Amino acid sequence: MNYQFKWSVLWSGQSGVWLLQGLITTVEISALAWVLAAALGILSGALRTVPWKLARALATFYVEFFRNVPLLVWMFFWYFGVPPLLPRAVQDWIFNHSAEFWAGMFALGVYHGARMSEIIRAGILSIPRTQFEAAMAMGLTTFQAYRLVIVPIALRLIVPPATNDSLNLLKNSSVALTISVAELTFQTRQIETYTAKAIEALTAGTVIYLVLCVGIAAIMARVERRFAIPGLIARGG
Amino acid sequence: MKRMLSVVVAVGLALSLASPAGAQQDTLAKVKDSGVLTIGTRTGSPPFAYINKNNEWVGFSIDLVEMLVKPEVQKAVGKPIKVEKKESTPPTRIPLLSSNAVDLIAGTMTDTPQRREAVDFSLTFFYTGAQFLVKKGSPIKSVNDLAGKRVAAQQGSTNAKILREKYPQAQLREFPDQPAAFQALLQGQVDTYTNDGIQLYGLKAKAPKPDEWDVVGDFYSEEPYGMAMRKGDAKFKAAVDAGLKNGFESGKYFEIYETWFGPKGELPYPMTPQVKAYLLKQIGK
Repeated sequence: MNYQFKWSVLWSGQSGVWLLQGLITTVEISALAWVLAAALGILSGALRTVPWKLARALATFYVEFFRNVPLLVWMFFWYFGVPPLLPRAVQDWIFNHSAEFWAGMFALGVYHGARMSEIIRAGILSIPRTQFEAAMAMGLTTFQAYRLVIVPIALRLIVPPATNDSLNLLKNSSVALTISVAELTFQTRQIETYTAKAIEALTAGTVIYLVLCVGIAAIMARVERRFAIPGLIARGG
Repeated sequence: MKRMLSVVVAVGLALSLASPAGAQQDTLAKVKDSGVLTIGTRTGSPPFAYINKNNEWVGFSIDLVEMLVKPEVQKAVGKPIKVEKKESTPPTRIPLLSSNAVDLIAGTMTDTPQRREAVDFSLTFFYTGAQFLVKKGSPIKSVNDLAGKRVAAQQGSTNAKILREKYPQAQLREFPDQPAAFQALLQGQVDTYTNDGIQLYGLKAKAPKPDEWDVVGDFYSEEPYGMAMRKGDAKFKAAVDAGLKNGFESGKYFEIYETWFGPKGELPYPMTPQVKAYLLKQIGK
């Protein structure tokens, strides 16, 4: 096969604008989903370790239910499954106000929240039990102990695995194209449709994802150094 | 950071340059070696190519390959071959072809000048145009009624492209395949679904309650369907075209048409004299 490379398709015509729009949508949906995932993750991760049985059971149910169903299914669930439960007028309103974006955001956030929850729980479990007992001895309630002592320490411990999963979240946002969210992967395919230059378009998408992820990883590496707790993490080298 | 970036760019370039290397040029030689002609086709586009009630992968486009193209390819390679089917969708079909994963796209692909820069097309084997599928009584009657309406289309299709360029007042929602787009129409996520008229008739016929749906509007695009193959493979293209040409000449093509689109076919859709003349004109008749 004689494949003729034509890299100019990436900056001629509307390609540049499309890539930029796709990038913005990817960053928006990922950022919002990340906030949701972090909130759900911290909440349910903490609840899985508290001394109340019902709270633990609820959090366990959330984690197992949402992480064990494929993300694609969740996308369809939030886009096709949830709206029919709402009154017709509400449905029409949300369909006119980018229902697909919000459905994709919820699918991504709730799914990754379940994964984040496990990371947080691992962080909490790695804190010596005496830490919690000391907090109680200071006269804090269980809630205060978690809010002021346990969770802040756990968050400082879990930066590397949390970064890992955050990058996964960013890349998984591409699944939202199945429910017509015009994110970055969608736009690279669009360029391919218009120009029939698949390799160039996919390379552009790949490089943008890479730069984005490497950039985030670099920032998180700084955060990790800045917030590492001396004495709690064994440093190699 | 700077050094990291250059590594990233280098890896990207290396990947992109590596992929087409070692690609096979001659499809007939490849088919002769393997004894298999791999076609890329659809799974949800009745009656061209779809999975039927008995879970069989069938359709008009598939029959054309099996009954017209296959004998001609067998003649060219001098031995019996098998036809294998792989799923291809509008966004994946050109990459599947370029990467040698399939040898021939035989589904519902429109022959356009732009696509001809990337792939070669066979003779046209079907002719249709884009229309709209709507719920009965919908205010949408044609392409001029789309202002503010939510319109589903397939990603990578010619229809989506025309709407985006010429009718920006519509809210375009693009889905990767027909079942998802149709589901969105069924549930009201979108007000209408646009695709080639014949496919919409196919969907309507397969819908739970066909009477609730209408196909409306004049053709706002011309969609001649062709089979696509890798560019510049003259020998293979000659074999595919010869198969279709024989079909037009012997009338076999029209028999196959009758089984799918005739009064007793999967989807009754009588061939208009204009379409018949268009098809026959390709072989100089």
